[in-house]
Amino acid sequence: MRSKLLFALAALGCLAQPALAGPTEDLARTCNACHGVNGVSVGPSMPSIGGLPEAHLKNVMLQWKTDERYSATMGRHFKGYTEAELSALATYYAKMPWVPVVQKADDKVVAQGKGATERCETCHGATGGQPDDDETPRLNGQWAKYMEMELMKYRTESVKMPHKKMRGNAKKLADEDVPASAQFYAAQPK
Amino acid sequence: MSFNRREFLKTLTSTTVVVPLYACAAPGGGKGGKARVVVVGGGFGGATAAKYLKMMDGSLDVTLVERNKTFVSCPLSNEVISGHGKFEDLQAGYDGLMKRGVNVVFDDATAVDPAGKAVKLKSGKTLKYDFLVLSPGIDFNYGGVAGYSEELANTTHPHAYKAGPQTLALKKQVESMQDGQVFVLSVPPGPFRCPPGPYERASQIASYFKHHGKGKCKILIADSNDSFSKKGLFEQAWKMHYPGMIEWVAGAAGGKVVKFDAKTNTASSDFNDFKGDVVNIIPPHHAGHIAKNTGLTNDKGWCTVDMLTMESTVHKDIFVVGDSTVHGDLPVYGAPKSAHMANTQAKVAVGNILAKINGTPSPEPFFVNTCYSIAEKDWGFSVVHIYRAKDGKLVYDQKAGGISPVTMADDTQLKLQRKLESEYCIGWFKNIMADAFA
Repeated sequence: MRSKLLFALAALGCLAQPALAGPTEDLARTCNACHGVNGVSVGPSMPSIGGLPEAHLKNVMLQWKTDERYSATMGRHFKGYTEAELSALATYYAKMPWVPVVQKADDKVVAQGKGATERCETCHGATGGQPDDDETPRLNGQWAKYMEMELMKYRTESVKMPHKKMRGNAKKLADEDVPASAQFYAAQPK
Repeated sequence: MSFNRREFLKTLTSTTVVVPLYACAAPGGGKGGKARVVVVGGGFGGATAAKYLKMMDGSLDVTLVERNKTFVSCPLSNEVISGHGKFEDLQAGYDGLMKRGVNVVFDDATAVDPAGKAVKLKSGKTLKYDFLVLSPGIDFNYGGVAGYSEELANTTHPHAYKAGPQTLALKKQVESMQDGQVFVLSVPPGPFRCPPGPYERASQIASYFKHHGKGKCKILIADSNDSFSKKGLFEQAWKMHYPGMIEWVAGAAGGKVVKFDAKTNTASSDFNDFKGDVVNIIPPHHAGHIAKNTGLTNDKGWCTVDMLTMESTVHKDIFVVGDSTVHGDLPVYGAPKSAHMANTQAKVAVGNILAKINGTPSPEPFFVNTCYSIAEKDWGFSVVHIYRAKDGKLVYDQKAGGISPVTMADDTQLKLQRKLESEYCIGWFKNIMADAFA
């Protein structure tokens, strides 16, 4: 009897354990396939998303869902998510720590990138790690390849990109400054 | 009905409710208190399942049984054949899973005893389990093409549809071709793994010819089927990048190869003979042998599962994931047999195993597939699928998903789209490999 009781108590304790997963965690687990565990990507063309500002994540995801912002792939994904799910995912990823993947680059290229990104400072901070507000993404230690491709999007007039100021500034960059700017931010630890 | 704690205890002790030994396994809990989960097959499905089991509950006793010490990925193996990718980049070891506390056993799982809940290994060992994740991938039905055989595949005529030494053997054959010669690619009846795989292979080989002064070479696709994955996107790419180089013969037009003569290098359908300088026969597939031996397969050779949980409909506590399953409501073949599907299925299976262990409700199912193909340098495209439960059934969300746009407002946009997706393909690959093996 005594052992049976202990066993039953153990079973009760079990019930009291917190849930191992919730609906947002279940959804987020599927994002890992492309964006890495905790939103830290290991593939240069795929952005890290863990620790990006909440409003930024939410804006971009909702804009993709409604085709207000051009995306090559993600719009087709997010049409299958509700607005509430996307908001919850934004909150979930924003709470994660930002883990910069610092990518070394040639000193000359980094210097060129630094020179070319002066106009970016107001919003993203001197090294991309101090965004001015919650709607602005961090750039320090983001993947260079990904940032270069985002700049390509902003510089392509005929695709829909909603941020006028960003588009204007991206278009002001000289061609050779595009990869240099991306590599400058990618090389910054903070 | 409500009752207090005392009454609840009384109920528990006075009835014959059997609480399994593994119930309430606390992290780092004592021996015997852990649930034992055995995973058979260390590909994208099995490795992802083993990793997430350990990651989501460190106290689980997780054993992965895998034949090979090094995994070789099928995704991006066509790019190795063409010389655009490196064979080394397709490989991964199992150290990452070992570091996470997964017992990795390099052995061959020969049989499953669903009643005794045990897996028998070639070495003679037996592994007992509370839950089994079976991810055996596919095996080939060599008899589907008379005259073709496993022996030919391993010697003179690699199918290269399981990446490994055959990938490099086929690459060598392609490289040995002279300008003006013919490459014949025989596609089996669906379902087969990686639905766009054969057509990406044709594109990649055409790319090799084009960039190596062999632009007069021809690729003849003898297809058992009357349509194929991302058809509009591939045909557009072929027209733009390889005009006149690739010919597709549908099943209805006599493309279904039923026999092969290795001496004359001729693949034949009931109507046509396809003679090539290199002939690449992809034999028909079915679920890995162990699934059939365990009685998990249907009359077509594939494993049927509860679409919402991935648990076998034949034996309980066995979850089947990856290419060996039929899953999803897409007509004829169900969800595509892709690395991404295996990844998402593995996570759903893990969620359901943990729910069973903890006595919690089955999680709301959500499956996502992203499948990229690269037809030429800077020319990639994709198909996306999202599956959700609706009225107890798994349904492909028609509002979402689908293929990349075939046409766009202007050429600049189209080039940007294809460039982005060719790069995303590589990023996807690195992340999904890490999601399974790191």
